[in-house]
This record gives sequence, structure tokens and C-alpha cells, in this order.
Amino acid sequence: MSELSPMNIYQLLPKTNCKKCGEQTCMSFAFKLVSRERDLEECKPLYEDQKYERQRKELEELLKPLESATETGMIIHPERCVGCGNCVVACPVNVSEDPKGSAIGLGPKSDRVILKIIDGKVQSYNLETCRRFGKNRVLCNGCIVTCPTRAIEFV
Amino acid sequence: MICTGCACLCEDIEIKDGRVLNACLRGSSLIRNLNGNRAKARVDGNDSTVEKAIKTASELIQSAESPVIYGLDTTTIEAQSLAIKMAEKVEAYLDDSSTYCMGPFVEMILKGEVPSTTLDEVREKADMTIYWGADPFHSHPRHMSRFTYYPRGKFRQKGWEEDRYLAVIDVRDSHTSSLARKKVIVRDDDDFMNALITLLRGETPSAYLKDSAELVNRIKKSEFGVIIGGLGLRYGLKNLNLLRDLMKELNQVSEFYFIPMGCHPNMRGFNETLYERTGEINRYSFRDGRSDPEYSFSSIVKSGKNDVVVVIGSDPVSSLPYDISSYLGRSKLIVVDPRETLTTEIADVVIPSSYSGLETGGTMKRIDGVEIEFKPEKEEELNDVYILERLMEGV
Repeated sequence: MSELSPMNIYQLLPKTNCKKCGEQTCMSFAFKLVSRERDLEECKPLYEDQKYERQRKELEELLKPLESATETGMIIHPERCVGCGNCVVACPVNVSEDPKGSAIGLGPKSDRVILKIIDGKVQSYNLETCRRFGKNRVLCNGCIVTCPTRAIEFV
Repeated sequence: MICTGCACLCEDIEIKDGRVLNACLRGSSLIRNLNGNRAKARVDGNDSTVEKAIKTASELIQSAESPVIYGLDTTTIEAQSLAIKMAEKVEAYLDDSSTYCMGPFVEMILKGEVPSTTLDEVREKADMTIYWGADPFHSHPRHMSRFTYYPRGKFRQKGWEEDRYLAVIDVRDSHTSSLARKKVIVRDDDDFMNALITLLRGETPSAYLKDSAELVNRIKKSEFGVIIGGLGLRYGLKNLNLLRDLMKELNQVSEFYFIPMGCHPNMRGFNETLYERTGEINRYSFRDGRSDPEYSFSSIVKSGKNDVVVVIGSDPVSSLPYDISSYLGRSKLIVVDPRETLTTEIADVVIPSSYSGLETGGTMKRIDGVEIEFKPEKEEELNDVYILERLMEGV
């Protein structure tokens, strides 16, 4: 499966810069698709012209994970997670909210943590405290770089 | 609750609304499926009562001329001590899976030939972790997040990004090596270990110069390091003296320890209990009063010296090669296990037991030698200790 990135989406769009969606370029539309500011249906040629049918189906498949993305754009792929807890222990919010639990490698002892392992799979909570949330968000990647199977993604 | 899914023995597991919290996929699968696939008492392939199965097993052991006892790595130290007593009484061959696993490393540690430490010390102090021939992300999923790399320790408050360094030495890329700051792919463990020793002695190695120099430079900067050796190192390292030399040299430039990466929850417990009793850690013959490679489970079973095999909490039919396990059907086979396995399928007598640690209390030793006490909420009466006591009565 190809990665959910603006460049991969752009490759599948008509690339005609027709502006029917209101964006100046297809590339700009691709970026807004990833940030969920636009819907795929807004690309009219993709649905009207038969020759784009294969690309449309591929795009729909590629964008499917976005439906389950949280407010911060976090997508968890449970089928890739082995419950190692690397993300739980490495998450800076978990560390500051739970210094006697997840910060020192144990299971979370506070309800204010973002990530927990339940039934061997990672699950997210309290995402409003995630560093990627809100106006002053930063591109924290603590939970992504510690996961070798890429069970956590941000879009 | 304490998980017995691997040798990490995670003590922070909770069950809430029927869901398992904090355990990895391996541990939570074990805990969630405790009631599935349970063993049933059988004698000669027919359903039986537990009493009858124990009585038949006891008679078989009593009349045996050359019994073998194998397994015990998933049970408690209390049950292991009883099994050792029984082996002594009936002059049996006694072995566990450490023969094929971390046995040589544990022996070196117990004899004081290589320095070892606890995983708790590693969490508090280590700034350098080297996994050699191990992929803990799959074998011990919480090893890195609980002990070695990701947690903040008393002296490592800044966490993995600034205070710790992870190196992985392996024959191939792995999920663990993708997390490492330094990854070394080796073709021969002896050659690479030699290169490290040579460099630490101030000479120039003939192979792996770039990788070994980079690693040694980092080692020299570290204050507290640990090498965690897995099965890859166990089978890749042909000359164990190299490990002794390497640890000696490492401790000239820094403070370094070695911890083996055993998989079974209480393999270290078996090794230490037998070591206290006999001075040897595994493959022991109580008839000859000594340990020898020819007394390993596979050698004995293959040589046909045995007439009765007692397997406790292990599944050699699925874990050992067919070349060896096919010999198991040639003698009488008694299996004590909480679940149905391929070994119980071919056993003459099956005695159902309970999961040690999860359903019955006792003590186990984590792979670093730390004793962990199990006190489950509900104690099953039919456990390994009870079964072994009953078998002892008969012999």
C-alpha cells in the first residue's frame, strides 16, 4: 500500500489544474485532501470522466484511513501493532502527565495520558492534550519514530 | 497481575471490564485465552480421571529404569525444586530448554565469568544498550519500553533522545534494528567480537574496521552499558571465550554488563535451582552425578537410553525438530500441561495442570535473576506442585 502523502495523491489526480474545485492547482488540492480541508468528491473530472475511474478507485482506497483519523490526524493501524508500548513510554505528554507510570516504563497510572495499550493494541485518549492538537501545535513525532511497524500515522 | 508470556514478567498488568491493560499482544493473548484449549486427563489415549492419570504416571515412573524429566521452564521454582528431588530419587536425566537457549550464557553468569546486572539497574543507569542477535520488538515486545531504551531512569531523566544510545548487531535488518542509532550487520559474530576486542586493546582489526571503530568510540563515551545477547549470539558465537574477553576489555574503558535474552518465563529459575543443588545448570544425569552434552534431552531421546519421558509445561513436539521429536513416541510419555499441545496428542498419560503464575502462586526468576513473587487472586488446586507431590508419593 502506498503512503498517504500529498505527492502520492497528486500522482493519482488528473493533474490538469482545471480549478473546478476552487484550488489553483491539483497539488494544492492534494495537500488539502490530506489535511481533510477538502473532499475527493470536489474533484469533478475524477467523477465525470470515465478515463479517471481506475485512479479514482485507487484514491478512494488510499484515503480510506482518513475516515478513522482523529482530531489531530492520528491514525492507528491495530493490525500492525504488537503492543510493545514504545509509543506509550516515549510520548512527551504521557511522560509529563504520568511521571510514575508510563514515564518509567510501566503501564499508565493516570487517566490523562494520550496512549494506552489495551488487549495488546495501542489506543488513543485525551487527544486535545496531544502536541499536534490546536492552534499552537508542533510536529511532535515521538510516537511515530518509536514504532518500527508504523502502526501510528499522522495525516 | 503478572504476565508469564515471556521472560520480562511484566508486573503492571491489569484486567478491567474483561480487557487486558498494559500487556503486549503476546501477553494479552495468553491471558485472554486462558480458558481455551485446556488439557484433559487421559491414559493411553482414553479420557480418564486426574487421579487415575496421576496413579498411572506414578507407576510408570516407579517401574522405569531410565526416566527423563524435561521442561519446567514455565512452572514455578517450587515445582522445579520438587522435580529436581524426584529426578534425584529415581536417578533420572534432567534437562530443560536452556540447553537449546541461553544455557551457556547463564552458566557463565552464575560462575562469575561475565558480569551481569538487573534490568532495573539498566533502566535507572544505562546510557548504552547493545542488542546482539536479538529482536526484542517481536520476542519480548516490552523489553525496550520497560527496561532498556525508552523509559526515563533515575540517572537518565532526559529519556531516549538525549540520554540513551541503542546499537543493534545482527545478521539481518530487523524491526529492532530500525530503531537503533547504530546498526551493524555481521556475517560472523566471532569476527566482529574479535574486531571489538582488538580495537579496545588499541590495535587495528583486520575486519569490520569502520563499524567496530564507530561502536567502540561510542562505548568509550558511555558510563554504564549493557550487552543483551539473544539466540542469534548464542548460535552465532562459536568461541565463548571471546565473550569473556570482550566483557573484560569493555570494563577497562567503561562499566559494562551482559544480560541474556531468554524467552521462557522461569528458565533462569530452573538453571539457578539446579545449580544450587548440583553445581550444573542443565542436562544433568542423577545416575552418573554429572552434566554432559550427551545428557541433553535431544541426545538422550535420540540414543534411545530412556524408557519413560516426563514433560512438564513444555511442548517439545512443536519446538524441537522432527528428527528428534519423532523419537518421543518410542518410549512411554507422560505430559503435565495446562493446555492441549502436539506433545499431549501423542502422550500415553496426560495430567492437566494450571498456568503457573496466572492461576497458581509461587516464585519465578526473571531472565536477569530477579525473583518475582506471584499471588494470583484465585488459586487453582490442581497445579504443578500438587501433581509433583502426588507423583513423589508414588515413587
